[in-house]
Amino acid sequence: MSPRRFARAREHIAFVRALVRRQPKTFAIAVTGAFVYALCTVASSIVISWVIDHVIDPRFEDGEVATSAVVTGCALIIGVGVLRAAGVVVRRSFAGITQWRIAESLTDDVIDRLVEQPASWHQRQSDGQLVARGGVDVDTTIGVMAPIPFATSTVLLIVVAGIWLVITDVVLGLVAVAVFPLLMGLNVVYQKMVDRHFDDAQQALGDFSGAVHESFEGVQLVKAYGAEQRETARLSAMASRIRDARVKAVYVRGTFEALLEVIPSATNIGIVVLGAYRIRDGHLSIGELSGFIFMFTLLVFPLRLIGYALSELPHSGAGYRRVTGTIDDPLERDPSDTIAVAPDGVAVALEDVSYTFTDATEPAIDDASVRIPIGTVTAFVGATGSGKTTLVELMSGLVAPSDGGVAVAPGARAIVFQEGFLFGGTIRDNVQVGLPLNDDEVWAALHLACADGFVRDLPDQLDTLVGERGVTLSGGQRQRVALARALARHPRLLFLDDTTSALDPATELAVLDNLRGALSETTVVMVASRPSTIALADDVLFMEQGRITAHGAHDDLLRDVEPYRRLVEAFETDRRDDPAGRSGAAAAGGGS
Amino acid sequence: MTDHTTDLVAGRTVVGEPSGPYSATTAIGRGLEEAPVLRQGLGVTWLLAALGAGGRVVVPILIQQAIDNGLDDTGDGVRVDMRFIVASSLIAIGALVISAICQRTAVVRLGTRSEQALNDLRTRLVDHIHRISLADHNDERRGALVARVTSDIETLAEFFRWGGLAWLIDGTLMVIVAAVMLSYNWFLALIAIAISIPLFFVLRIVQGHLVQAYDRARRRNGDMLASLGELVSGAETIRAYGAGRMFAERTKTAVRRRADAQIRGNLIGAFLFPLGEVFSVVTIAAIMVAGVTIGPAGGMTAGALIGFIFLTYRYLEPIAEFTEVLDQTQTAVSGLRRVLGVLDVPVGPPQPAVPQRLPEGRLAIDVDDVTFSYRSRADRALADDIVLEHVRAFIPAGQQVAVVGATGSGKTTLGRLVARFADPVAGQIRLGGVPLTQVDNAELRRRLVVVAQEPFLFDESIAENIRFSRPEATRAEIERIVSLLDVQDWVDGLSEGLDTRVGERGESLSAGERQLVALLRAGVADPDVLVLDEATSSVDALTEVRISRALQHLAEGRTTIAIAHRLSTAARADRVLVLDDGRLVEDGHHDELVGAGGTYTRLYDAWLSATTAS
Repeated sequence: MSPRRFARAREHIAFVRALVRRQPKTFAIAVTGAFVYALCTVASSIVISWVIDHVIDPRFEDGEVATSAVVTGCALIIGVGVLRAAGVVVRRSFAGITQWRIAESLTDDVIDRLVEQPASWHQRQSDGQLVARGGVDVDTTIGVMAPIPFATSTVLLIVVAGIWLVITDVVLGLVAVAVFPLLMGLNVVYQKMVDRHFDDAQQALGDFSGAVHESFEGVQLVKAYGAEQRETARLSAMASRIRDARVKAVYVRGTFEALLEVIPSATNIGIVVLGAYRIRDGHLSIGELSGFIFMFTLLVFPLRLIGYALSELPHSGAGYRRVTGTIDDPLERDPSDTIAVAPDGVAVALEDVSYTFTDATEPAIDDASVRIPIGTVTAFVGATGSGKTTLVELMSGLVAPSDGGVAVAPGARAIVFQEGFLFGGTIRDNVQVGLPLNDDEVWAALHLACADGFVRDLPDQLDTLVGERGVTLSGGQRQRVALARALARHPRLLFLDDTTSALDPATELAVLDNLRGALSETTVVMVASRPSTIALADDVLFMEQGRITAHGAHDDLLRDVEPYRRLVEAFETDRRDDPAGRSGAAAAGGGS
Repeated sequence: MTDHTTDLVAGRTVVGEPSGPYSATTAIGRGLEEAPVLRQGLGVTWLLAALGAGGRVVVPILIQQAIDNGLDDTGDGVRVDMRFIVASSLIAIGALVISAICQRTAVVRLGTRSEQALNDLRTRLVDHIHRISLADHNDERRGALVARVTSDIETLAEFFRWGGLAWLIDGTLMVIVAAVMLSYNWFLALIAIAISIPLFFVLRIVQGHLVQAYDRARRRNGDMLASLGELVSGAETIRAYGAGRMFAERTKTAVRRRADAQIRGNLIGAFLFPLGEVFSVVTIAAIMVAGVTIGPAGGMTAGALIGFIFLTYRYLEPIAEFTEVLDQTQTAVSGLRRVLGVLDVPVGPPQPAVPQRLPEGRLAIDVDDVTFSYRSRADRALADDIVLEHVRAFIPAGQQVAVVGATGSGKTTLGRLVARFADPVAGQIRLGGVPLTQVDNAELRRRLVVVAQEPFLFDESIAENIRFSRPEATRAEIERIVSLLDVQDWVDGLSEGLDTRVGERGESLSAGERQLVALLRAGVADPDVLVLDEATSSVDALTEVRISRALQHLAEGRTTIAIAHRLSTAARADRVLVLDDGRLVEDGHHDELVGAGGTYTRLYDAWLSATTAS
């Protein structure tokens, strides 16, 4: 064994031990069951030899046999067989408990970590990868736990059986024992070769599924450009990679299955010939020879399983490393712990705040300072990528500043994101999220968010299930329910990250009207991109490339700040082209 | 479009559910029809498999022969006929090698053919799904459609890998073993066969419970993954609402329930193999007693009896496998049924048998008394299902028309009918004088292009996404369109220009930028008619300017129908069509309509007050 192989083997042992430590008792019972099975397997072939020599042979050669011998033979065959079966039941059921409880505890650990880590940590991870940690990676990890008790007992079985075979007859025993490593090695090679193709096929299948999903998602586009044939050809080429890999696996399988069938049978034939010599020379009885062959036949399956368990180890080990990578990732400081209490009369205060994303060279927020008085409505306005959203995340304690300090007035806070996120559950669950609100309170919040109308039209109203991620609702509906969730908390401080952009202008106006009426006590900090939304604000902060470059009332900024005027005017360009010339009148009317 | 999703669901044909008309046999029959590759040489494959299975009785027969004819136990020592034993062993080796070769050939033949057949089926399904009507595609059913092409076909693949082979080999093996047993002694053989019958039924019962248990485990696994998914994608919301512990507990419950379900399934499974074991030892004991009782006088030999003991295992082994295979077969058949169900969904608007060519040059659109409902039978449709009612409008070639109306007024549907994503239930739409139903689909797609309100982008570069509309477009052509639509400044601002990758669904671009890509894509296609479905959501101001600039350039010289959500678009158009609850209520220029005091005036006022800054 080369040093590297040795190191890997030690790593595998450590990994299996770490898993077993999570469920040691059931594992021990499973292994005990497996030992019973192994010992009974050896015993059953001894019983067969005994029956042949003491029951069958006397009856056919001497013409008679004692009834007691027949009864004993029957009892031994059935007794050992039933015990052997019981061993299997114990081993398999307890191996199952071990395996799935280990999976549960690993997934639970992942879940704990997921909810302990702050939003800034989550932002750096891919959602799909994180779900895989708790799901498929855990399943891969425990894959090895099912065959391990059996494999352990197989080692014992092989040792005991090997000794028994050699004791029964040295020559035959050595021949049989010599075939063990050959069979085991063949199985390991087989698994490795076939796994490579299966892995390829699995990879190809994953790629194909992704591409199919994408293509079906874009089906309107495919139809719009008459690209059906082209897409089929592209996907078909991907599908043929699955076929190619699997066909290769078929060839490997055909060859090895045939070899694994031929080698034990050929060995048995060899044993018959050799055994005949040994019998002729008086070293062996017919019963012993039959028991010998019987034993050897029983060993073929366990030998195959060891190959399987060994080939499973690297897979499981890799899965375990991914899972523990997430579990053991150091907890990041909760950004909301870094938030100080703002001075009296101030809702939010930023002091020289900077924030740089991991891997970024330029800061996303560059030395921002601002004080937002309690009870005001403040809008952040800026082009895409100017840092508006990041600033809201800093103020709401979702990310911690790289530099500088954030202070917030005490009291309930709520944030509504650009994309309203709903959980699979009822509308009521989604508004409550842990708060014990009664129906009236839920309806009141929905009313404020202009969501009561469509909820009333739903089949089960508040009890309507919205499906995973709220898929059964439209984007605008999801957004309004998410808004209702925030409003139900009567927040002293409300953050809106371009929340109303998914609504059509008329609905947006109605929602904003409601907010203005209901939230006189609440400080509202929002990211806004529509002029109508901006018009709501007492105060506007203009952002450019991570800096707050202007601060004041909307009208003042329009008048004094050239880049601000250009940005907001970009909206108005539409209206300047307006041939009816009504924009002037409307602007004048709106200004009153 | 989102608001129409519900309408579309109401008018759906069944896609997700296993469809009714197929019994197991007709499904298999139809499946074989769909996969001719599979039927080729199936007889030869079966014959090879049978010969391969024969290899498994070689050793028991050799043992029996050796004991009865080669080893003569005289009481004071065994007389061994070495010549006989060596000769029969050589024959056995030969038989073994031949059977192994046959088995390998059978495995390879079945494996390669079934993989080819499944590959053909995947391709056919993908092609068919691309062609079925848009009404059969929506967010909720997309997963089901993907599952038809992937996991349902996988159940078939799984079947061919194990079950299909087992049907070929195990069945034959049991017949061969039974035949050998019968040739030794019919009475003992009958005992073995008689005991195997209850085993079969007991195993079937256990298997039934096992399948149910694993079905439940699969569902619980789905619940667990869904719950984990929420925990991850809702991480920010969960943090913001301090609901971490609550959701962690909720998810852990799902995890525990999955583990419980798996353990239960495992427990049932734990009895499956040992059951066969217990039946085996009972059979061996019974055969031994019977064999000893009959004795040499009844024609029984020691070799045959010992051979029997070996054969019993070989005989009962496949039964356990067989019961599993039956379930796998059931799973595969229901997968096959679902696949066939999709193949039976009729394809979208049908192709004309003899297409008519469209005239060259600009094309006029004639919407002639069009009625549409999502239940494709006008006479039986409920009033609520009627989306468009007797709409008439003639749009001369080159005219720029805006269609406006409240959500649910039918404007999106009108656009879809003009693009022939569906056919009207009454009335007709003509393009350049030719009824749409008579136009060849490929020609229609070349001449008329739809820009969707939420344009779809593939996870590729911007240039590749633009090229989707015309794969043969050169880089120079794409660059020319970029400057033609006046968005060079935007392209220059991207990290890698046209080679910037857009991410899944174009997520690394903003909504407005995705629209720009869609417009460039339409520009490269260079159609004569343009159907634009405007976006509702606002985009940031600079992009907004770029979009309307690009749109103006793109629309120049083409007959254009814009499904307008922004009334500024309507104000710029040559003509405005106003829809209200499926009817065309106003038709004229913005200037005339805006002061007319009708639907348009109301829409315009509402829009103005919502979008005015000060």
